[in-house]
Amino acid sequence: MPRVLNLRQRLDGMAAALERRPHLLRLGRLFNETILIEVDQEEFYLTFEKGRVVEIKEGPSKKLPWRFALRAKGDALREFWQPLPKPGFHDIFGLVKYGNGSIDGDILTLVKNLRYFKEFMALGRKEGFS
Amino acid sequence: MKSSIEPIVGRYVNVTVGSARQRIYFEEAGQGRPVVCLHTAGADTRQWRSVLNDEAFTRSHRFIAFDMPWHGKSPPPEGFETEEYLLSTETYMETVLAFCRAAGLEKPLLAGCSMGGRIALQLAALHPESFSGFIAIEASDFQPAWYDIDWFHRPDAHGGEMGAALVSANIAPQAPDAERWTTLWMFMQSGPGVFRGDLSFYTSDDSLVGRLGSIDTRRTPVHIMCGEYDLTCTPEDAQRTAASIKGSTLAIMKDLGHFPMSENPTAFRAYFKEALERVTRVPARLMDA
Repeated sequence: MPRVLNLRQRLDGMAAALERRPHLLRLGRLFNETILIEVDQEEFYLTFEKGRVVEIKEGPSKKLPWRFALRAKGDALREFWQPLPKPGFHDIFGLVKYGNGSIDGDILTLVKNLRYFKEFMALGRKEGFS
Repeated sequence: MKSSIEPIVGRYVNVTVGSARQRIYFEEAGQGRPVVCLHTAGADTRQWRSVLNDEAFTRSHRFIAFDMPWHGKSPPPEGFETEEYLLSTETYMETVLAFCRAAGLEKPLLAGCSMGGRIALQLAALHPESFSGFIAIEASDFQPAWYDIDWFHRPDAHGGEMGAALVSANIAPQAPDAERWTTLWMFMQSGPGVFRGDLSFYTSDDSLVGRLGSIDTRRTPVHIMCGEYDLTCTPEDAQRTAASIKGSTLAIMKDLGHFPMSENPTAFRAYFKEALERVTRVPARLMDA
């Protein structure tokens, strides 16, 4: 039986999986930002340093600054993390296009690191974060 | 050991479009009914590599795929260094027509993907006499941009890397990694501002909407194809477009996205075979006679 992960466990698993992805550490070597991932009403502030996740703080918080935010519906994000997501759930921009998520904040920083961030988010698809 | 040399052959042809002399690179393979293949925005002829290498297709069809000026191995025209590249419907149509004339093609089939599909439908409406049928892939009447096209060309972000990361949203998760990344590499290689200039045309010119009703599929068949994972031209966009072209046919393709012939040639194969058969059918008018 696959483990049912809560969001924090999944994000922790993604952060650990980054360490086993040398190409992502290389692509993210200039990424030093805190970003917000908001799922339903839960907030997670992920701090990246040189492409590594060094801290995850749980909200809610009105004080923690962040560079950009990805907000998504929990059900949609769970489908996004399926090994073969359904059409419209297969990419963060699909979530946005079909009203299941939004992206805001400093979009230029996201644009500059788009491949890195998208591949980081997709790490949640890997069973057991291998 | 099987030869590793592919049957695809590349050459150049020189044409004049408007006042600009264009040196256009094209690749071809096969013998039989000519099919001109058009690539998407921000990419080039290599998107058609698997079709041109597929003997099941090249036994009966001669495929000719060309790089639009500014794309792939077709250079921008003289003076490009001070020009802002912005494609227009008129220039795009003139380029396709000029290429077909210069290559000596008489009434070829036209198969285009994305902006290539859009221009195929424009040509179906405005210049049907020059073609024998149209395969419009990931093509629709019009969609506004779901992104800010200016992100693709600015000095503080790499347009190619950003463009590839963005369009990966349009590739189905079933795409094999090798084909996915070969597809994305073309966007990474795209010249500065070219993807933006293509998208400017694609996301701002809605002139096709009012022309769809004038397409006569009894003279020139139209087959529309759309991948279920395409976020840019969604199946709903393709269905709406097909419904506006009387007599057109439509295939919604499973496990495919916006670059079906490139991202997953194996999954695309049966759908493209069907497409070639659809546009080869005997026109209804002749059958009635």
